[in-house]
Amino acid sequence: MPDTTTGVVVIGGGSTGAGVLRDLSMRGIDAVLVEKGDLASGTTGRSHGLLHSGGRYCVNDLAAAIECVEEGRILRRIARTTIEDTGGYFVSVSEEDEAWVPRFVEGCGKAGISCERISVEEARRREPALSKQVRTVFWIPEDGHLDPFYLVMGNVESARRRGAQVRTYTEVTGFNRDGNRVTGVLTRDTMTGEETTIGCKAVINATGAWAGFVAKLLDVEVKVVPVKGVMVVLSHRVAHATINRCHKPGDGDIIVPALSVAILGTTAVRVPHPEVLPIEWEEVRHMIEEGSLMADGVSTARAMRAYAGVRPLYDLGAEAEGREMSRNFAVIDHEQRDGIAGFASIVGGKVTTYRLMAERVTDLVARRLGVTMPCATAGVPLNDRDDELDQLRHRPAQVGVPKPHGDELALQPLVCECELVRPQDVAPWFEDPAVRTLEDIRRRTRTGMGPCQAAVCSYRLAGRLVTDRHQDGPAATRAMADLLETRWRGVRHVFWGSQLRQAQVTAGLHLELFNLDRQLMLEKSTAPAGHFPPPQGEGQGGGVEKAEVASQR
Amino acid sequence: MITEEIGTFSDTVEEAAPVEACTKCTACNTVCPVARSTEIFRGPKFLGPESERYRSQPEAAVTAGLDLCSGCKLCEVTCPSQVTIQEYIRRAQNKGAEEKGRTLRDWVLGHTRLLSRFGSMTAPLANFGNRNPLVRLVMERVLGIHHKRPLPRYQWLTFERWFKRNSLSPRGGGSGRGGLATHRTVAYFYGCWVNYNDRRLGEQVVAILERNGIDVIVPKQQCCGIPAVVNANMDLARKYGVENVRRLNGLPPGVDIIASSTSCGLMLKHDYSHLLDIPGAEQVGARVYDICEYLWMLHEAGELNLDFQPVTTRLLYHAPCHLKSHGIGYPAMRLLRLIPGVQLEEVDEGCCGISGTFGVKVEKYDLSMTIGSRLFAAVKAAGSDAVLADCETCRMQVEHGAGAQSAHPIDILARAYGHG
Repeated sequence: MPDTTTGVVVIGGGSTGAGVLRDLSMRGIDAVLVEKGDLASGTTGRSHGLLHSGGRYCVNDLAAAIECVEEGRILRRIARTTIEDTGGYFVSVSEEDEAWVPRFVEGCGKAGISCERISVEEARRREPALSKQVRTVFWIPEDGHLDPFYLVMGNVESARRRGAQVRTYTEVTGFNRDGNRVTGVLTRDTMTGEETTIGCKAVINATGAWAGFVAKLLDVEVKVVPVKGVMVVLSHRVAHATINRCHKPGDGDIIVPALSVAILGTTAVRVPHPEVLPIEWEEVRHMIEEGSLMADGVSTARAMRAYAGVRPLYDLGAEAEGREMSRNFAVIDHEQRDGIAGFASIVGGKVTTYRLMAERVTDLVARRLGVTMPCATAGVPLNDRDDELDQLRHRPAQVGVPKPHGDELALQPLVCECELVRPQDVAPWFEDPAVRTLEDIRRRTRTGMGPCQAAVCSYRLAGRLVTDRHQDGPAATRAMADLLETRWRGVRHVFWGSQLRQAQVTAGLHLELFNLDRQLMLEKSTAPAGHFPPPQGEGQGGGVEKAEVASQR
Repeated sequence: MITEEIGTFSDTVEEAAPVEACTKCTACNTVCPVARSTEIFRGPKFLGPESERYRSQPEAAVTAGLDLCSGCKLCEVTCPSQVTIQEYIRRAQNKGAEEKGRTLRDWVLGHTRLLSRFGSMTAPLANFGNRNPLVRLVMERVLGIHHKRPLPRYQWLTFERWFKRNSLSPRGGGSGRGGLATHRTVAYFYGCWVNYNDRRLGEQVVAILERNGIDVIVPKQQCCGIPAVVNANMDLARKYGVENVRRLNGLPPGVDIIASSTSCGLMLKHDYSHLLDIPGAEQVGARVYDICEYLWMLHEAGELNLDFQPVTTRLLYHAPCHLKSHGIGYPAMRLLRLIPGVQLEEVDEGCCGISGTFGVKVEKYDLSMTIGSRLFAAVKAAGSDAVLADCETCRMQVEHGAGAQSAHPIDILARAYGHG
């Protein structure tokens, strides 16, 4: 007997899974999303956040480019608060690049991407950061930055408002079957070890690079090629608009100004497993050197950290490798292909096209369940209203100083000064059962994502863990140490200049002043290591809704 | 090796983008006199490097609270990463003022020289008005200048005119140690305070220098511009600065420039070339000395006339914040300890709170008195014949807040030379 039953179980809490959950809930289908980590903690949260106009794919991968054009326009309508409409430049910096220009122009024409060639002088006037090597410049108004965390949270909260459920840190360990039909999912809480069975009519495998592992539990094969990409985060935006190199897509040819930082990307290296993502010094250096070819200030800016993500490229059986492979996606109907009813996989694709991917797979599953309601996700904004308030970008103006010294807003205390996170931005998430580590708070609020990489805000969050989630001191200390540890993993790749000195300050603060390592040894928490338990009186309350209300005040 | 590889993009970091060098150590906030005294000021770390990350974004001008920065520069003195915190704050404040406009009060306070000239021309009347409660109430309402803040006395005869008059007679050839091998000439940047409010200090400076066999010339000069800088009027400050730089660069080679006002000296030495980017300002800055710094250098060279009369007095010394920015230690204390009879102790209680025109403003007067309260208490507790400070507004604040006598260290030195 299952512990609970639902209509559809969605496996995977990235942009695709979140998009599927929302799509299902909008069609009136009961759904539960299970994710073995946190929402947006895999491929989505480790993307470089480029909202693709399609320009990057228009020569080699026209189908993907056309999808990007259409989806980009839809996202601008439905997910406005997660997008920075920066526009973008495609620049060539060598003779070799210039040979690509006619093909690029032709590709843009075919894909329907608006693209305007502007003089180098004009470009430099608009974007002083462009380097001296720049030879030709195209202005692509539809490139932009898409915040992957806010996108996923927005989809999930929209689905939760319609009754959908989310279980984070919940791993799928097996399936219940009735003959050839999948009737349930066996799950295990990765932190407590608690096992649960969720009965359902269908399962959607939206685990991207992990899709093969999930399919294997049903003895079917899904061939996904995990391709690693390394990115470097700089401590400020560097440029006003995204900058792409106008050449055959290669390493280190994208600069994305993302909220308060800039992200340099990326590489493409096939890896044996989606969780084996080593970052080599050569890769970090290469990102910075290639970025410097396009924009001044990249080499002198403070690199804050490096991270690696994994693309979930779907092997269509062609000989292609890495970047040559299509960024297209595929819906796999396992009933048709493998004779397993009630199971479908969605693989390939990219964050920009997540909604379309969700629509296609949900169409299939809804049809099988006899639900005729069409997809409505393209027409309704994520927060279901024309939201005037972009929380993140308006924060600087909202921190407030009382009159007559500033504006009329009361002085806002800050949890994280680097990213201007206020207590009311953080508080609702402590009530969300899906939030189980301080990293989860970071993903939802940007706390700890600034230059000091949680050196200062980590102890403020630990304090809030005690006051807002009633954890004991040792548990809070443990959680703080875990947050610092995960930040450290990214920071250690950029140990030179200011970030090296920062690390010294951080280590001095936590290891010497706070004596953190010894505290961890001495104080045994009652909570299991690595997380803190959900709040008492568990509900599926939506954090975002409350956060929005709070920030409007 | 790896250090060389890293070197390709690390060496320039600190120089090219010092804002990036901030490691959030918070040392600046702990020394900030304003942050220490009010809850509503976020402190230099936030308003400088942290806000600077957002200032390039058009939708997010971070300007709120900037005017609470008094401009004391202690944050920059303290920063272990050499972040020019003040410069970011001043530039952002100036940009905000350009976009939103300035108040009449800030415009007036930025034009200190104009104000002082008017005050000097109408000296008896202006001095009467500045002490008339009814006039002060009107000033508070109309201009936003706090009625309790004592305003400086203006004098009708300016230092500039006094010097012209007195330089008609043959000068130089001090009576000190005749027959010195080296012959020095200095140009005196007297500043608006000496010119319009405290001619006597200027006379003492000239007398002391001449007593040491140094010729004094007084070039034509403009306001140094610091009141304009702190009142968010950098264009005006730059205009003044350009004029001063042009005139001072016209001085004959070998002529050093001395200033008796700490803040004027700091503008000439540092801010013209750094904050205001005035061409040619480096050359001027390199030859500027604070008066006490200069006299101490003379002493170290064995050239200072040590023929002092004993001055029996108990004195306290308050080091102005801007003096700390000079990075020269406290030469006044070292100098005065050469004088027999002088008992001198430092009151190490930090900023006095007035910060030039900051403590004059109606909404900041109370804050300025809170900032200075530690100093006032210490001065009262110690008791003394006078509190010495190199900066004129510090002296005003100590007199007002602690009810003590105050003087420039030069005043004591002049007495020792018999020019009291």
